[in-house]
Amino acid sequence: MTMTTALTTRPTKAQQAGVDLLRIVRINEEIKSVVGVAFKINIMALNAIFLAKRAGTAALGFGVLSNELRVFSQDLRDGMSALTGLIHGCVTEVSVVLQDIRHTALLRQAVERSPAACGHEVLAAREAENDRHAERLARLRKQLRGALDDAFRMVELGGVLAKSAKIEAAYGQSFAVPLSQVSGEFDGVVEEIRASLEALRRSAFFTGN
Amino acid sequence: MKKTKTIFEDGNHKWVAIVRDPDKPNYLIDTNEYLVTHGSHGMLLDPGGAEVFPAVFSALSSEFDPSALTAIFASHQDPDICSSLALWLEFNPQMHCYVSWLWSSFIPHFGGSVETFVSMPDEGIDISLDGLILKAVPAHYLHSSGNFHLYDKVAKVLFSGDVGAALLPPGDDGLFVENFDAHIRHAEGFHRRWMGSNEAKRRWCERVSQLDIDMLCPQHGAIYQGADVQRFINWFDGLQVGICGG
Repeated sequence: MTMTTALTTRPTKAQQAGVDLLRIVRINEEIKSVVGVAFKINIMALNAIFLAKRAGTAALGFGVLSNELRVFSQDLRDGMSALTGLIHGCVTEVSVVLQDIRHTALLRQAVERSPAACGHEVLAAREAENDRHAERLARLRKQLRGALDDAFRMVELGGVLAKSAKIEAAYGQSFAVPLSQVSGEFDGVVEEIRASLEALRRSAFFTGN
Repeated sequence: MKKTKTIFEDGNHKWVAIVRDPDKPNYLIDTNEYLVTHGSHGMLLDPGGAEVFPAVFSALSSEFDPSALTAIFASHQDPDICSSLALWLEFNPQMHCYVSWLWSSFIPHFGGSVETFVSMPDEGIDISLDGLILKAVPAHYLHSSGNFHLYDKVAKVLFSGDVGAALLPPGDDGLFVENFDAHIRHAEGFHRRWMGSNEAKRRWCERVSQLDIDMLCPQHGAIYQGADVQRFINWFDGLQVGICGG
């Protein structure tokens, strides 16, 4: 069955877990690209600080904002690192759930076929353990969603910093043009991250659709 | 469903062969599992792959309480030997799995914890099953580099893992070898290719010739009994192994 079909008909637990795994992989890939952009902001901010120093008193405010953008870049990378940890946790739990599904199916077959009608307690214990794994996955899913929301709020703050830098650039006198160009780039990359995180928050991994 | 066949019984000491599942998919190799019981304890020899677990379990449970299994003996590391390990451990998490030290950090990929595994040294060990002593007999390089067979001197049974295995054609599903010359044709190619060392084979033949064996029980194919046991050992001794046709 293709994933599209699996998503439009009622999927089995195994198909759902497989689809979840694919969605987590996609979230992880997106986060890797955000980490790359965060690193780019750090380099851009460093160059902006040098430029502000050359501009002197006319770019004092721009320099302060550039420094704040460097701090933002580091905070963003820390936030993404926490997200990556949660993603690894989700991958582990989904893998365990997939294994649970296979083992439970084999145990159920065994118990159903057993002429001695034994193994019901073991099957019930296995199903209870499966429920615990499913609950752990649900908790991780919630934590990941929360961490994404935190990261999104951080990026909105980064957007404010970038827009403020644009305003400060206008006061840069003879350096106004290069400062505007740099602050415009800041705004662009922060907007790029914002759009990525916005898309991740809508991921079907969280909505289950 | 697999069938069970009691191949030895004396008081509370029993060997049961779990064999021949007509519903098994053709793409899976057919396997024989053996249950040794003594008193209230049971040991399952080469419990089989995860895919055949329901068939093995249902057959075994008609003879013995699966939660009373105290041990599993894994002759070597292959998936058809013990990829069902995690499922058996669901019934008794304290169950031990005896395996060559060489594979004791590989087989846990199938399941179990550090407490599950008893690493057998190359020279073999005596295993107690409720007081019954079973001997792990070295069979290294036949066909795995860390490989053991299990000998029960009371029942005079040698569980021989892949040694003696035969890939039988459909319909040829007798539990015991009835016509040695006809049967051994189905074992020849397997032994030439899957057994890695003539020197190891020579030593194994010398070692088991000194044992008093009524039945030689392989993991695939039919059981050799009576005179066919020594006939098999002689045949194997003369066979050139470790040969690839290509």
